Order: sequence, then structure tokens, then C-alpha cells
Amino acid sequence: MFHQPMTFEHALDLRSELGTDATVINGGTDVVVAMNHGAIKPTTFIDVSRIKALRGIEKQNGHLIMGAGVTFADLGKMHFRALREASLSVGGPAIRNMGTIGGNIATASPAGDGCVALLAMNAEVQLSSKARGDRWMPLVDYFIDYRKTALADDELIKAVRVHNNPRSRWYKIGKRGAVNISLVCCAISQNENNKTELAFGCVGPIPKVAPKASALLTGETLTPELIDDVANLVTHEVAPIDDQRGTATYRRAMCSTLTKRLLTQLMEDAPKGDADA
Amino acid sequence: MPDPTPMEIPTMQVACDVNGESFTRDIPVDMPLLEFLRDVLGLTGTKGACLEGECGSCTVLVDGETINSCLMLAAQVNNRSVTTIEGLAAGTELDVIQDSFVATGAAQCGYCTPGLIMSARALLNDQPDISESELLTALEGNICRCTGYASIIEAVKRAHRESQNA
Repeated sequence: MFHQPMTFEHALDLRSELGTDATVINGGTDVVVAMNHGAIKPTTFIDVSRIKALRGIEKQNGHLIMGAGVTFADLGKMHFRALREASLSVGGPAIRNMGTIGGNIATASPAGDGCVALLAMNAEVQLSSKARGDRWMPLVDYFIDYRKTALADDELIKAVRVHNNPRSRWYKIGKRGAVNISLVCCAISQNENNKTELAFGCVGPIPKVAPKASALLTGETLTPELIDDVANLVTHEVAPIDDQRGTATYRRAMCSTLTKRLLTQLMEDAPKGDADA
Repeated sequence: MPDPTPMEIPTMQVACDVNGESFTRDIPVDMPLLEFLRDVLGLTGTKGACLEGECGSCTVLVDGETINSCLMLAAQVNNRSVTTIEGLAAGTELDVIQDSFVATGAAQCGYCTPGLIMSARALLNDQPDISESELLTALEGNICRCTGYASIIEAVKRAHRESQNA
């Protein structure tokens, strides 16, 4: 069966009824790749791509709320620098027209560029079910283990939200200039209270935050010495593996390099305030 | 042990517009759009290679936006409008981008050409003015293994100039 609900409520009814028997699909850029590889053979789909309510971006109570169906092309037009640059680094234009932030969170790949940017921005994800309604949870708590998440079998991802105005930076190392899967990526954001968060992709089974490094930075003014200390500390907070894209040693070293590069950018751009956030 | 009784794939009816013509077909729910275009409708101008969104050879327009037809299910274009490479020329008169690819020798083996032309078409549909970087970004999802891209970029620039002069 191919279900194509036009409302989120109908999608929740279907999800409640079908659970894991149905594959939830939006842009298809992860689901159909897995089908083409023969890794999954779904016979029942819930296609959420027609639900207009999932495509909205709105400001509310100091937050920016993005519906789960917002595409990377949409996010590529946003003023949040890390999220914008991460989104524009995903695939090519066609992939960005299809792939959604909700899908990126649902797939929960350690290489999920959107997830890494959102983690650094202290994002929260909204999960919904017919039986229990909506719940917000910190994105950092949502990722449990390799492609294992807090999403229950009757839940769908409804939205993700971030605070309105963090300053943020992003960098991805990959093997190509475009359509580039992360070998390692890093996002950093700093809120108005000088709280700084770092997040990394491809350095463990899930998109990863670095709480010790964040703690060292909290409330401190950025200096070259502090940045060096943090860049050293992050190498102990990541747990990369060797794979076909690169070695653990290289990834660990690059976490340090990217941390230093992005924090230095934040330090040097500080007088500009939030204008470039 | 492999499953001795493969799961029956349910079918559904899809109605869509392809290159201005309406089609209604019964198809398996898991059929990619690429397979629908090529094997059901016989529109083999759209190519497929990597089947994972890396190469862009399957690029078509759905409601005017570029998508990779290997990664969208045919069921998802129900009541939507698809444009493939076959939909660009008007009879024997080539689209300006096709004409420019011929004029600049932008095709060698030709396998990537339909996808590149569709990506370029979306770019020129959207924007009257394009910068060099917008042009390169618009084509970044399409791989060519023959030409080194210079003649392709020249073709799209020429098509852009021609459309502005038209």
C-alpha cells in the first residue's frame, strides 16, 4: 500500500495503525537509496511529502521552528550560518530539493550534516504520536546509538527548533568539492550568554557533541590560548573509526584543526555581533 | 536462508503529467520514478547509473524543480507534473540549451548530457541573471567523466546569452 496523507493528523493515524510495518518516506534520498541497494524491501509506505504543515518555518517565543518537511534547499536560504552552510553542503541541487531536515534526523547517520549543525545550536526535536500527543526533546538526547533513536514506533518527527540568534560556524572535510559525504564535519555555535557548543559528524556512531570542550568555553572570552586548549581537549571527546573514507587518526586530528579554525573565526568576527549569525 | 516466498509488491494507480501529456498507469508501489519513465513510458532519454544520488544522470524536473528520478518513487508524482529531456524540444526545434550543447561540443559519450541539460534548464527557468558561481552550483550534482566540464559550462553560458537576446 502507498499511503499519501495530506494532513499530519492522518499521517499519525497511519503510523499508529501500521507502526514499523510501514516505511515513512519524504524526499526519498535515504529510503530509496537503501531500496536500490536491496538493504530494505518495503511494501507499505507512508509518504509525508504532501503535508503542507510540515514545510513551514516560523518564529515563536524566541525560537525558530522548522517543520520536519523543510528541505535542504529551503534551509540553504536561512540566516543561521552553520545550518545554511551545512545544508548547502548536502548533495547537489536535486538532492537538496528532495532531502528534508526531518529525514536527516530520522536517518540519524553519524554523517548527517544537518544533524551536526542543529546539535551545535542546541536544537530540540518535536516527536508526535496519536496516543500521547507532542513532546519536545533535546536533539542530543534523541540520538542513542548507531541509527538508533528515541523515536517510538508510533511516532513521527514533526518539527525541530533552535534559539533565534546564535552565532555559528560550520566546516566539512570530504573528498570532493560537491556531492560530498562528510569525512569529518564540525559545527560551533555561541549564544548571547557566551555559551558555546561544539558538534562533530563522522567521529562515532552518532552525531556527537563535545560537552567538556563546551564547558571549558562557557562564559569565557575567546583567546588564542583558550582555543588551543579546547582544540586539544576535543581529540579526547571524539571516538572516530577507520573506514573507507578516512582513518580514525586523521579524523581525530581534523576535529582539533576544525575546532581551532571555527573558534578563531568566531573570535575574530566578534565585533560584528550577531549580524552574520 | 533466503525467504523462499518473495513478498508480493502491491500496485497502485498513478496519474501524472509527463512532458505535457497525461498518463495513468498501474505500477508497483516501490517503483522508482526513473524506472517508470524508462520502462513503463519508454522515455529512455533519462539515464541512470549510480542509483544513489551521486551522478545526476537521472535528473528530471518535477513541478519545475530538479530531482533525482532514481530516488523518488513513481507513486510520489501522482497528480504532479514531470519534465524529462524528451519534453524540451518543440518538434525538430531544439531547446536553446540542447542547441548550445551541440554548438560547443559539450557532449562526448553523451550519457550525462540529459541530466546536465535538465539541471541547466531549471537554472535558466528560475533566474534571468546568473553568476558564475550560481551556474557551477546548479551543475554540481551532475558528473561528466569525458569532457572536463569546460565545454559544458560554455554551453550553458551560451544558452543563457541566447535566451537573454531572444
